[in-house]
Amino acid sequence: MNRVIISQNNIAYRIYDRYKKLIIALLLIIFLFVFGEVTVSNFLSLGQILLTVKLASFIALFGLCQMIVIASGGSGLDLSVGYTATMTAVFTASIMNGENGNLWMAVLIAISLGITVGLVNGLLTSYVKLPPLVVTLAMANILQGVIDVYTAGRNITGRPSPILRIIAAKSTGIFPNILFILIIVATIVMIILYKTKWGAVLFGVGANETTAYLSGINVKLVRCTAFIITGVLASLMGLLLIGNMGIAFKDMGSNYVMPSIAAAVVGGVPLMGGGGNYIGVILGAIFLQTLTNLLVALGWGDAGKWLGFGILLFILLIVYVRNRRSI
Amino acid sequence: MNKSSKAVSDSAFHKFIYKPEFSTLIILIVMLIITAILQKNFFETKSIVRNINAFTPLILLTMGQAVVIISGGLDLSAGTTLSLLTCVLTFVMKKGEPVTGFYAIIIAFAVAVLVGVINGIGIGYLRVPPLIATFATSFIWLGAALFLRPTPGGESVEWFKMFYNIDGVKNAPQFLKTFGTIVPPGLILVILGCVFWFVISKTKTGRYIYAVGSNNDSAYVSGINTAKIQMTACIINSLFVFLAALFFVGQNQSGDARMGGPLILKAIAATVVGGIALTGGKGSVYFALVGALILSFVSKIIFFSNVPNAYQTLVSGLIVIIAIAGTQVYAPYNKRAMINERQII
Repeated sequence: MNRVIISQNNIAYRIYDRYKKLIIALLLIIFLFVFGEVTVSNFLSLGQILLTVKLASFIALFGLCQMIVIASGGSGLDLSVGYTATMTAVFTASIMNGENGNLWMAVLIAISLGITVGLVNGLLTSYVKLPPLVVTLAMANILQGVIDVYTAGRNITGRPSPILRIIAAKSTGIFPNILFILIIVATIVMIILYKTKWGAVLFGVGANETTAYLSGINVKLVRCTAFIITGVLASLMGLLLIGNMGIAFKDMGSNYVMPSIAAAVVGGVPLMGGGGNYIGVILGAIFLQTLTNLLVALGWGDAGKWLGFGILLFILLIVYVRNRRSI
Repeated sequence: MNKSSKAVSDSAFHKFIYKPEFSTLIILIVMLIITAILQKNFFETKSIVRNINAFTPLILLTMGQAVVIISGGLDLSAGTTLSLLTCVLTFVMKKGEPVTGFYAIIIAFAVAVLVGVINGIGIGYLRVPPLIATFATSFIWLGAALFLRPTPGGESVEWFKMFYNIDGVKNAPQFLKTFGTIVPPGLILVILGCVFWFVISKTKTGRYIYAVGSNNDSAYVSGINTAKIQMTACIINSLFVFLAALFFVGQNQSGDARMGGPLILKAIAATVVGGIALTGGKGSVYFALVGALILSFVSKIIFFSNVPNAYQTLVSGLIVIIAIAGTQVYAPYNKRAMINERQII
């Protein structure tokens, strides 16, 4: 009798232990909504929640880029995702020109741009062994430079194709369409990461690169591939962003860099690599968007947003990502 | 055995040639010559002063960054710290009242130390990886700066111009003005920074910063309070940023919450060009200064080669990544220097 209780406790404890960070993220979201409802009137309504989810979807999709790089280990992070998206949006705006027929062309361009950016990031970090944060920061600078050169002395013309508008901006019934995209992407990602060999290899490389190397895995290639996938995803995000906004402008994507990293950290992706649950990242994105809404409702604006994000990320880093001394 | 003893007995000149510092100096001289050829009046006093003024902020930021990198960290928040300090300075100062300048300096100094302490607690005591910890704090400083000054602007007392150009201050004593024309204030700030680091590097703390940077665990086992040393390095960095903030406010007489962000990448690149390993524990802060000079000359050369304005960000970003990658690729080819170094130690 006694043993049964212990084992039941064990199972409950194991479930709690495994999904601890997800539960914390969920509790944080509920806390924010309750706090918002108490301080700001009309904060907790269906329309508000759906709007939050729609905006959070973009952060969550950027968070996916971040999660893949982080999971591959080597203290990887990609600060260039937002700029890649902006570049794609700016370049493809005039090509699409508001027609569905040109969409395939835009997608091809987006994929090739993403591969290029990701390849350079990957080569420099895994083969030249530079710190990923420094490389991707420099890459962000370069991409901003490319955008500046492209937009110098001319207006960014062109509109997204109607299909993109429908996917990114419109709603079916009350549910925003981007939510369905997010669900589809999340399903595919979960299957690839947890049910295929490549997912196991990615997490293996992140968890312990020596073990992975000795097991015959090409560690550098895997990390490089992670960067390329991230680049392509970020580039495709540019199409969704222009679909949502309807026009392309110079810094449409750069504001997503910090939230994407914060979402991954809130969602419990270990920054040392080798783990992560995409559901957590989505919850993290919803939490961040709710926090932004609350801060805006309180009238704190841009300053409050960055201050809140910074303090939140710092505290969560202290709680989640402390190095342990090896001796 | 025979071979290695021969390597040691090489002349001092040979040893110097194979050191990475030698190549850094050569690059600096080449850059200097190219700039001197492109800029017609390079050796006139006026343009020398102008050059020094243009280079000062980057040099100060780079030296601070170098201290942190040597201690085994890296500070991504130095740029926004600079913005925050300019905002604090211009927030406290009132144009008509000269005495508010002193309050501003004291408060900004306190803020700088506080920034260093918070970064240091995160990196040293709580052992969060430095890059991501300072990435997080950089947004805290950005948010705080935006709170103080949502749009660029603000006011400054008149005598604050002395950090940029003593001649601009109306009722400054004559001897100060003469002194200011001989030695520009920017240069004085840089020299102040150098003296500051010279004093620190002669103390125990200076040695410990290198020890902690090259191997944190060994330093810890040897009884060094590694967390405290890392925090000290962060505070030293903040003080360098504080000097840069004084210069900026003296130059622009205003604060800007988004001004410092782009500088941070250049500062890191300059540190790497100056021969400081990103892994920590290696390199010299004075050569970080040389690295900052090299990057400054490069942007001068870009300016003179008539590259359109729009290309500036692109070209400087490319140069940064080429410089960092180049130094990293060059390092293994410099094996002989490394072998010599090991034998000397």
